Amino acid sequence: MSELALIVEDDEDLANIFAEALRSVGFEVELAADGQSAQERLKKGVAPFLILLDMHVPHISGGDLLTNVIKKDERLAKAIVIITTADARMGEAYTELADFVMIKPISFIQLRDLTSRLKPKK
Amino acid sequence: MKIHLDSILNVPVSDPDDSRRRRLLNILMFGAVIAAVAGLAAIILDSFTTQSFTNSERQLVIAGLVLTTLGVVAIYYVNRRVSGQWAALLYLLLLTFIFTFSDQPQQLANGRSLFVYTIPIAVSSLILFPLASFIFAALSSIIIVALASSVSIPPNPIAIIGFFMLALVSWLSARSLDQALRELRTINLDLDQAVTERTQALAESLKRERIEAGRNQAILNSIADGVVVFDRKWNAILANPALKSMLDLPIELIVNKNFRELIEHPRLSPRSRGLLYAMMEHDTQPPSFRIEWGRKTLSISAAQVYDNSKESNTNLGTVTVFRDFTREAEVEKLKSTFVAIVSHELRTPLNAILGYAEMFKESVYGPMNEKQINMSERIMKNTQRLLGLINDLLDQAQMEAGKLTVQMAPLKPAELLENIHGVMDQSVHEKGLRLTSEIEDNLPEILNGDAARLQQILVNLVNNGVKFTDHGTVHVRLFCPHTGRWGIEVSDTGHGIPESELPYIFDTFRQVDGAATRAHGGFGLGLSIVKQLVNLMNGEIKVKSKVDRGSTFTITLPLVTQEADMEKWRNL
Repeated sequence: MSELALIVEDDEDLANIFAEALRSVGFEVELAADGQSAQERLKKGVAPFLILLDMHVPHISGGDLLTNVIKKDERLAKAIVIITTADARMGEAYTELADFVMIKPISFIQLRDLTSRLKPKK
Repeated sequence: MKIHLDSILNVPVSDPDDSRRRRLLNILMFGAVIAAVAGLAAIILDSFTTQSFTNSERQLVIAGLVLTTLGVVAIYYVNRRVSGQWAALLYLLLLTFIFTFSDQPQQLANGRSLFVYTIPIAVSSLILFPLASFIFAALSSIIIVALASSVSIPPNPIAIIGFFMLALVSWLSARSLDQALRELRTINLDLDQAVTERTQALAESLKRERIEAGRNQAILNSIADGVVVFDRKWNAILANPALKSMLDLPIELIVNKNFRELIEHPRLSPRSRGLLYAMMEHDTQPPSFRIEWGRKTLSISAAQVYDNSKESNTNLGTVTVFRDFTREAEVEKLKSTFVAIVSHELRTPLNAILGYAEMFKESVYGPMNEKQINMSERIMKNTQRLLGLINDLLDQAQMEAGKLTVQMAPLKPAELLENIHGVMDQSVHEKGLRLTSEIEDNLPEILNGDAARLQQILVNLVNNGVKFTDHGTVHVRLFCPHTGRWGIEVSDTGHGIPESELPYIFDTFRQVDGAATRAHGGFGLGLSIVKQLVNLMNGEIKVKSKVDRGSTFTITLPLVTQEADMEKWRNL
């Protein structure tokens, strides 16, 4: 069974591109278009290997999701978190919160290459 | 009484000597009239009592006294209306005449009445002119000789000598009196002149000062800017009405108060308070800065006033100008927010275009032929360019809004070069150029700087070099020009910049040769952003260029390696 990646991204096209990048390196992908649905899914027991988290999503922000849900759930302690943001200046501050920070625009190739390195070798 | 007497005695003429003589003559005549009246009274009293005079004697004396009185009145008229000199002469002659008939000839020539002739001699030098005493000495001498011969007695030579001695003394004293008076008058005149000049000068300078002060006050009262003047200890000594309405405070709360009281006012934001305290404490201040006062944004510029007249060059105080910047600040904020939103909204779809193009190129949905891949690459490249432009606009907007800040952290210069190669190598290679780089040995391995901003500077400069170079090399050099500075140099072998354009190349939205904009792309923001970033880092940028020989951009920045220096930087 391949590893699960949760993509939290409100822009449909970007979500689609990110999903393709992750699928192309062998992840199974789940999409959440807002913080609310991401939270529901995580609470239901979805335990992704990797979370690609947009900081600016509707209902519950990426930041809140990170501190109130992901960091508090023991099952998610080992999950790799990649924050995506359009704010280059804030990106530096986010490095403390996550394993990786990617500043938009995020290239398909860039994301694919990064995640392929993160995926455990079989 | 005194005034009446003065108006009788004084003769209104402009020559002070003449006036003095004529007044003296009047006094003498006044005395003569009183003497005549007293004499008349004595004679009349005598006729009723002792009767020591015979009738003919009494008639003679009365006639003499009446004649004297009438003569004096006539001479007074002459003195007042015609001439002091003539009056004086007439008076002296009258006196001499009356004296000559006032006693028996032998008594006058050589007896008890001889002395009467001394009166006209002494007086003449005072009321006529100094030398006149000799004339009357001579006249008196002739009279006493004549009188002596009329009664057949020998003349008295001692008396004649005495007359002339008296004339000499009178002459000398009258002359010295005249001289002293003349000198006194000269001194008085000089003094008067000096006083007049002083008074006039004082009046004029007062007038000028009043006009100047009035003008300054009018300017202060009518300008829209708030002005407050502080003394050396930051006590407000002057504030204009505009400041009062700008701060919406009664003037008593501003003037005659220390600036600290105003700074502690609750309407001032904490950040503004800090800025104002910094302004008070530091000698060198930014030329102007903004503070928030309640809902208002005020721009403040302060200038210290120095006393240049003395060599000490002492600080007299500070003139501070407040300008209501609320509207401008709002517009600026709106503008930068607008640009930020637009840029963000533009970037998201561009990111999607880029991603899809990459997916084509990477043949995610099945194999692509060479032309299709080539087309995807072109889409990617143009999207990147568009993204670059939007980033420039965003940076520019942030810089204008003052939001762009420099964040110092330790960095390795070598990494800067590695990164620039990573970012630029491909496009350099595609254009058939070479990108070379070097680090001078004396540059520290680790220094402090804002890596992201330095990277942005390097990318902009190298990009610029590549854009305007068709053959050859773009070279990046990191160096240490002297202690306390380090530098970045980017040189190319490209088109170069005409000398006439050099002063403008760092201007916003400017490109050398307007037509080149289309050929090379870009808004002309790249160099302007570089310059602004360098300024933010307290650095300098210079450019040397020759047409067809290439351009060299040299940036020097403060070299910060010590922790203490870092502190200073953080506080900037």
